[in-house]
Amino acid sequence: MTTTPLRRRGAALTAAILSVSLVLTACGGGEDTAGAKPGDTAAETRTVTAGNGPIKVPAAPKRVVTIGNTDLPFIDMGGAPVGVSGAAPSEISLLPADQQETYKKATSVGGEVDLEKVAALKPDLILVQIPDAEFKKMEKQLTSIAPTVFWGLDTEWKALAEQLADAGNVKDSLTRQKAEYESKVATMKQTYAELIKTTKFVNLDRYSNSDPGTYVIGDIGCVEIAQDDIGFNFPKAPAGKDPLAYTSLPFEQLTKLSQYGVITYPADAEGKPTEVFAPVVDTNTWKALPLVTSGHALGVFCPGNNSYGAVLRYLDSLDKALATLPAKK
Amino acid sequence: MTALTLRRPSDPGTVTVSGSRRRLIGLVIALIVLLALLVASVLIGSTAISPAVVWKALFHPTDDIDQFAIRDFRLPRTVVGLVVGTALGVAGALIQALTRNPLADPGILGVNAGASFAVTVAVGLLGIRNIQGYLWFAFGGALIVTLMVLALGSTRRGQSPVMMVLAGVCVGAVLGGAGSALELTNPDAFDAMRSWNAGSIVDRPLDLVWPILPFFGVGLLLAFAVSGPLNAMALGDELAVAQGVQLVRTRVLAIIALTLLAGGATAIAGPIGFVGLMVPHVARWIVGPNQRWIFAYSVLLAPSLLLASDILGRVVMRPGEIPVGIVTAFVGAPVLIALVRHKKASGL
Repeated sequence: MTTTPLRRRGAALTAAILSVSLVLTACGGGEDTAGAKPGDTAAETRTVTAGNGPIKVPAAPKRVVTIGNTDLPFIDMGGAPVGVSGAAPSEISLLPADQQETYKKATSVGGEVDLEKVAALKPDLILVQIPDAEFKKMEKQLTSIAPTVFWGLDTEWKALAEQLADAGNVKDSLTRQKAEYESKVATMKQTYAELIKTTKFVNLDRYSNSDPGTYVIGDIGCVEIAQDDIGFNFPKAPAGKDPLAYTSLPFEQLTKLSQYGVITYPADAEGKPTEVFAPVVDTNTWKALPLVTSGHALGVFCPGNNSYGAVLRYLDSLDKALATLPAKK
Repeated sequence: MTALTLRRPSDPGTVTVSGSRRRLIGLVIALIVLLALLVASVLIGSTAISPAVVWKALFHPTDDIDQFAIRDFRLPRTVVGLVVGTALGVAGALIQALTRNPLADPGILGVNAGASFAVTVAVGLLGIRNIQGYLWFAFGGALIVTLMVLALGSTRRGQSPVMMVLAGVCVGAVLGGAGSALELTNPDAFDAMRSWNAGSIVDRPLDLVWPILPFFGVGLLLAFAVSGPLNAMALGDELAVAQGVQLVRTRVLAIIALTLLAGGATAIAGPIGFVGLMVPHVARWIVGPNQRWIFAYSVLLAPSLLLASDILGRVVMRPGEIPVGIVTAFVGAPVLIALVRHKKASGL
């Protein structure tokens, strides 16, 4: 049979795909064997339920690879993944020193996940939180490498923390963090009861891709903890509508902030405005705002809003900032 | 009334007394429209501020918050709109006259591509985050790339408009690809370029504009200086030479002028489309093919278009705003389509 150049290229492509599949399958198969070796505990399994149904996972996984939004929450709960998909350097810089060390020790499998790298790490568990469509594309390959537990992006952070801790066998750490969090929330509710009842807050934000001369009223992220869990009165979009943070407001709108009692804005761990938000603080309009001149504009540090450790650091920063208010209670 | 013919009717530079008066009246109307838009640009914004406060902000300033909004936000964007619009309009008229191509705009010589690539490098590789930092990168990028296009488009017999356009398109494509590659590997550059590429006159402090003004001044002077020779060149190179026009010198001066104007405008505001393309069309439609009149009308009509688009962008999505570069595209595209269908308007 003669083949046209197109057919020959098609045949070559098919062969290449088959070869890669075989390599991946071989790696996966090897891993399964290797997964049974490290210790007896790995041979014991339990079943956890997640976005991709009930999954049998090792009772005490030793080599965990985290992909997507599971990287930092797993490390936050004391996990030490052998592979991570990689967070932005700006996010990593916000982690406590010990967590940064853990992160650096892990091998990066790439934001665009390199399945060969994942297989080479011989994981006994893979924890994934990415968009459903992306997971569908690599589900077969991942599950052939190791038991894979998946959550969609719609999974609420507390539920994710519970299930992640369960699958990754870091429940003790989670229990401690949860207790500390609940205690902190209860204390703040009590300390700021009057503020919660009487004061209108507004949280301002700005993103690295914001248009010049614009900011947003931030109603997503850490502020949701202050609003929903503690009860501070921050503006929120009506049900069914896009979050307020999706609408960029021109700096000119800063003149309308007088209707609020307290402004919160993004700051670093030392309380200085973040680099992205600095253009707002630099305007004369901001400097002349009565809320600013009277000390009612508070910089608050938000290192993340999808794990208890990060949220606790946010609450500590909010607490510290609120304590500086002239009439705080 | 009988019109007095001063030059041959076939010459683009032909002026008649009645035609001249009509054009002058049109120019005065365009000036009044521009002045009205300048006032409107300071008066209208995403928040309602009374004219009395605006007056005080400009002439009896205090530390009132609303007055800061006028002085810090509305006044600078109005001045930037005026300056950038003027530069883009005249640059557009120059490039269309130079290439004898009614669809040419300043970007065709690689001005936008050069500026964009330089900004991408400044943000992505050098970590410069604010416009004050990368303004000069953008301006330098625009200048260097245009000179490169001029060199690539030159033959032994001088500059060929067709060769220059081809060189501009090629260099633009290469730099566009290189810039995209850099943006895709650098999230900071990607974010910065997303905003920059939309084209905006917001949050450009006046301190940013003053250093560019001398370049605009030189560009405008050169543009008007070559308008006569460009009129002659519109009849064809041979006729222009017969009238004593030095083709190479005229082209080089015209390219320097449009690079200073378009490069400076792009450096300040990012790439804003359609102004440089559409306004010369409108001007030609009103005044005919005489470049002096086209340039004069472009000086007034282009900032009017930019300011009108900016005002529109402030009010249609209150309390949010639409960047002026997007509005000019929305406003410009249908108007341009209507104009190009008008044969007389599009001909060069």
